[in-house]
Amino acid sequence: MSIERFLDNSPSSWMAGSGDHSDIVMSTRIRLARNLNGYRFPLAFTEDEAHKIDQSVSATLLDADEEIQMNFSSIQIKDLSELSRQVLVEKHLISPKLANSPMTGSVLLSDDESVSVMVNEEDHIRIQCLFPGLQIQEAYAQADTIDRLLDKELPYAFDEQFGYLTSCPTNTGTGLRASVMMHLPALTMTKQMNRIVTIISRLGMVVRGIYGEGSEALGNVYQVSNQTTLGKTEEDILSDLQSITEQIIQKEKEARSALLSHSANTLEDRLYRSLGTLSYARIITTEEAARCLSDVRLGIDIGLIKDVDVTILNECMVFMQPGFLQKYAETTLNASERDTFRAKLLRERLQMGENPKTKGEELA
Amino acid sequence: MICENCKQRPAKVTVTQVHNGEHFERHYCENCANSLHPFYVEYKQDPLSLHQLLSNWFNHAEQQPVHPKQDRPKLVCDECGWSIQRFLDEGKFGCASCYNSFRKQLPNVLKRLHNGNVTHIGKAPGALGEKLELKKRIEAIRSQMKEAIETERFEEAAKLRDEARELESRIASGGDETHVN
Ligand SMILES: [Zn+2]
Ligand SMILES: [Zn+2]
Repeated sequence: MSIERFLDNSPSSWMAGSGDHSDIVMSTRIRLARNLNGYRFPLAFTEDEAHKIDQSVSATLLDADEEIQMNFSSIQIKDLSELSRQVLVEKHLISPKLANSPMTGSVLLSDDESVSVMVNEEDHIRIQCLFPGLQIQEAYAQADTIDRLLDKELPYAFDEQFGYLTSCPTNTGTGLRASVMMHLPALTMTKQMNRIVTIISRLGMVVRGIYGEGSEALGNVYQVSNQTTLGKTEEDILSDLQSITEQIIQKEKEARSALLSHSANTLEDRLYRSLGTLSYARIITTEEAARCLSDVRLGIDIGLIKDVDVTILNECMVFMQPGFLQKYAETTLNASERDTFRAKLLRERLQMGENPKTKGEELA
Repeated sequence: MICENCKQRPAKVTVTQVHNGEHFERHYCENCANSLHPFYVEYKQDPLSLHQLLSNWFNHAEQQPVHPKQDRPKLVCDECGWSIQRFLDEGKFGCASCYNSFRKQLPNVLKRLHNGNVTHIGKAPGALGEKLELKKRIEAIRSQMKEAIETERFEEAAKLRDEARELESRIASGGDETHVN
């Protein structure tokens, strides 16, 4: 399968807007960090070690695809242009660290992009599974399958006391990071996020705004994940995240209905203004686009705005990033040119939702 | 201006409320603003970087003189050559053997990062992992067996007992090959 297929702006499976509670939980991510015995960690290893690790991990996974009924494509990071790397980062399929690594490294991608295995990132192996909606158990089961498969062929670095040995002590133990990406506009509007962040951090979990630079989360999108990886079983880590996520969902729902019952008119006005901006603006910054997308998505979720595709937030948050915009424009763009192209992309995307017949042509 | 709520302290925070399309301004002291509108006050917390955290721990530990002169030269990993100081500076290990080389010092570091935990209790790879999983399954069967006995379902209990024994014999037969580094 050609690499180009992963770089165009066809949606990844995790953007599908399906899965449990997909009106609030955008996606679920599971990551397992693993290392091999006999090689130093990427921070200290030589190019020769990097090459050997890359070969054996890639070969193991590519050989086994029949066994797990999944087809993987191996992509050497060094073979990619800078723009292509950026696009894979924006799609969350590789990390910036891997994209910028001076050593041999690669990513193995499943056809539907739900599984990506990074080789020679911070650890020798990083198994990542991205599922739409709230699917913590499902995503873990997928990651666990890949993990067991690699475990059969490769000597994992493991210690009876410390568990899986990882490059960073924050991952030691299970090497498991489970996270959910949540759209929490009502909790943000009612200024409850600070309190939630504080409570959650006491429970060994972290909440971060995503994409955002400052204190505000871009598009009211937050990532909740476990902080503790040692001294808890995988099952406990997953079920703790599940229950915290369910509680946040509940709070967000309460905040949404409170907003609707107390200030329906103000809310409706705000959401429709945002739809107007996205439909007609000719210049739009990332921040404004994210804010408007969040509003429109909320409008869809509470049944106010119809005829717009529910995947709008998931997909546009990805495709409006600089790498994708330049891929779409087929040329390099400076910041202000990007704002113009972003507005164009969003206008077209919105029309697609209103008139599904033109879907194929608009972004072709 | 004094605080509208306690009418004691000077008003320092203005809170704008929108009600039925009308804006109301309320003036509170920091104290009352905090308790009435706790979300208006930015929760400012500079998270301690991993590097800071590790160095803080190290400096703290340094103050307790536990034969520092004898211990320090030993704290270099033979496999990758990294010293514990380098580990603390980078916040990362050089290789898997570092864990063994710094084994005594690590619980203090890991404890801080993992809510007081220092020992892995999750999944394990290879033969060791299989053994642990068998043990877990035996435990589950045993508790089912207890329940069966308590509710006088003896036939079922006997079945479960045999099942547990069968799994135990499997552990015993593979017993000596389960060492994993
Ligand atoms: Zn007061
Ligand atoms: Zn080492």
